[in-house]
Amino acid sequence: MEIIAQLDKVSYLYPSSSDLVLKNISLEIRKGEFLGIIGPTGAGKTTLCLTLNGIVPQFYGGRFFGYATVAGLDTLSYPVSTFARYVGAVFEDPENQLLATSVENEIAFTLENLKVPREEIIARIPRVLAAVRLEGMEKKQPSELSGGQKQRLAIAAALAVQPALLILDEPTSQLDPVGSKEVFATIKELNRSLGITIVMVSHAAEEMAENADRIAILREGMIEKIGTPAEIYSQVEYLEQNALRPPQVAQTFALIARERISTGKIPVTLKEGLALLEPLKSYYRPSSLESTSYSSPTSPLISVKNLSHTYLSGTKALENVSLDIHSGEYLLIIGQNGAGKSTLVKHFLNLLSSTKGQVFIEGRPIENLSVSDLSRSIGYVAQNPDNQIFNITVEKEVSFALTNLGYPVKVVEERTSESLAAMGLLESRHLHPLSLSKGDRARVVIAAILAMEPKIIVFDEPTTGQDYQGAKAILEVTRQLHQMGKTIIVITHHLYLMPEYAQRVIIMGQGTILLDAPIRSAYHEIDLLSKTYLTPPQAVLISEDLAKLSGHRSDLLTPNEIASCFNYAIF
Amino acid sequence: MPFKVIPEGDERKIEEVNKCAIDGAPIAYIVVLAAIVTALSFIPFSIILGSGGAMPLSQAVFPLMGWLLGPIAGATASGIGTLVASFLSPLTVGNPVLSLVGPTVGSFLAGTMVVGKKRRGWWLGLSIILLIPFFLYSHRAIGQNGIPTNIFIAGTLIEWSGFLLFILPTRILFTRWITSSNLQLVALGLFGGTWMISGLSHLCAATLSYSIIGWPLAIWNMLIPVIPFENLIRSTVGMVIGVGVIAGLRAIGLVKSREAIY
Repeated sequence: MEIIAQLDKVSYLYPSSSDLVLKNISLEIRKGEFLGIIGPTGAGKTTLCLTLNGIVPQFYGGRFFGYATVAGLDTLSYPVSTFARYVGAVFEDPENQLLATSVENEIAFTLENLKVPREEIIARIPRVLAAVRLEGMEKKQPSELSGGQKQRLAIAAALAVQPALLILDEPTSQLDPVGSKEVFATIKELNRSLGITIVMVSHAAEEMAENADRIAILREGMIEKIGTPAEIYSQVEYLEQNALRPPQVAQTFALIARERISTGKIPVTLKEGLALLEPLKSYYRPSSLESTSYSSPTSPLISVKNLSHTYLSGTKALENVSLDIHSGEYLLIIGQNGAGKSTLVKHFLNLLSSTKGQVFIEGRPIENLSVSDLSRSIGYVAQNPDNQIFNITVEKEVSFALTNLGYPVKVVEERTSESLAAMGLLESRHLHPLSLSKGDRARVVIAAILAMEPKIIVFDEPTTGQDYQGAKAILEVTRQLHQMGKTIIVITHHLYLMPEYAQRVIIMGQGTILLDAPIRSAYHEIDLLSKTYLTPPQAVLISEDLAKLSGHRSDLLTPNEIASCFNYAIF
Repeated sequence: MPFKVIPEGDERKIEEVNKCAIDGAPIAYIVVLAAIVTALSFIPFSIILGSGGAMPLSQAVFPLMGWLLGPIAGATASGIGTLVASFLSPLTVGNPVLSLVGPTVGSFLAGTMVVGKKRRGWWLGLSIILLIPFFLYSHRAIGQNGIPTNIFIAGTLIEWSGFLLFILPTRILFTRWITSSNLQLVALGLFGGTWMISGLSHLCAATLSYSIIGWPLAIWNMLIPVIPFENLIRSTVGMVIGVGVIAGLRAIGLVKSREAIY
């Protein structure tokens, strides 16, 4: 098979790093293939991507060993602008890639820079927009598009150059499930119909298993394994030991196999997994699991009464929402983009004034609470921790609010130290927050909020942009805070992460609460979830299928729960 | 440098580093910093002088542009940012042509503050050149318009103090402080450096303004306390913004411009 890119013993050292980031990588990327790259944070995935268009080392400098060729051209012998004709790149955050004032201008920008004739640019724009299903949006401002549409526009802009190789570095990590699906479907279609070679870095194990031809595992700058998705994702134990998440279906079957039940093989796609359930049904002994619902006899901490909110643009974001949240609850709010989740939470923080209805915090109308009162009751961790960080040391960041609220120096010092200790940041107290990993930066924000000793902490998409290990680390913090007696409210699209943590789920859609139920029953409302464009975790879908096969309904949520219902010893 | 894993491939010579750059500063950095200058131009912090408009907060960061990007790229970023602002925020810009003098001169002079061997002698030539506006300004004010010498000296405190700080070893001292790993010294270097450079850029801008507009003795008297106060604000704001920016840039390990001194 023809080779589009080749790396031969490539090693690379950034000017600022003390050790090699890529170590003796030899890799052949075949023309027309979909190569997935997975690996823990810091493995060198992004550096590898940047090597393929010459940005490493031509922009960064440093030391480069070995040879990298793309389309037969050595990446050190030609300028980056030459590789722009062969390699398209799409990165994690679509917002960072879009700079024009209309969709068509965005696509034309790169072509103009490559001196493509005007007539050719005009001809290519509708073609690439059709390829990413954005026809008719030529005149729209990129800022008016949804997250998935923005990422598809970034892909269209890369495609317009007609690249032989398209690199995508975590293109779906910032997107909701619908946006993520749209992007994967588009990429796969481009790969199939136009034969464009795809190199994609992604933590979305389920989607990678469905779409990739080969998967490479990068670890500490080295390619540790490479093979088909079936070969890679079926090695569940290995993946887990290396802090990588296998698809839930593979995890489920690996756990069943550990019960000495022969599953034939470890499936890596849901379709394969469901097909393998039939022969296993005789081993299935469902046990009824109790919902971990939470009820409190006390009066609610947050009470929302008939809340409606209409934005100045006329968009009805909330309509007659009523809700009580009690002390000590762990609440999950889910729903598609635009469902009203953030608008609801902003009312808890008094960042928005209701059009109708009221919010009460501990029985007091929120509009009667001062900013300092509110900061003592409720803390908010935004999706991007960097938006909340502005001090030059971790310690100053954590103590900032306390100092400005006039607390005595001794109290500030005590609370700051306690919060830093609780978040495991004592050793980093004198470092600049931006020198920490994203997960640790999120901890800095949490520590700053914790220092205010609020009763309620709201986490808005805390796991977005995190790898599996990073996401779990942040959720462990939420568990820790919950165990400390805090009321936790989490907004997320990553449903598969939450069964171990959340007790109660609010499903929102079109500004209303569609369902308020314990997590076990909420996750099994498949039709309702699909109405709000959410996909339940694979384990839930397997559980649904098992219920149909066995005739016993048992609302299982995780691979562990499913595996615990399979027992070889009975027979 | 010993590596944990020995590279098996041949070490390659990297020849195309930062080709999309001006004087070693990537174009992208220049664009971003020009945008910051434009954004800060929207914020007025004083209504006095400012080439006929209000004085924008961006004046506090012109020296910083030079320290982050070097003399040529720094002047380019400040110049572009101010030029764009003259259309978007005319309230704080006033005369577009005159308004370009301060930013470009300020960033250029700041960019010539070096501790290594490269461009080490530039300060001497620049000091001599800076004597020209000094001569023209004093000749126009004292010789032609009859402004008393003591009023002129008091009214040009930031200009001559900036000049003295530039020709004395204090220039090197501020540079060393800005390069220091101790953020308190960085703050001191930014404060002193911003005072010095803003004084010199004010000299060039004021010489032009005065030769075109001129202002009577009563205004000179009024400006004696106002101009140093404004420069104090520039220096303080430059220090606050500069410490945050330099600490952040060092923390994230972004590739430095070739002529950056932080």
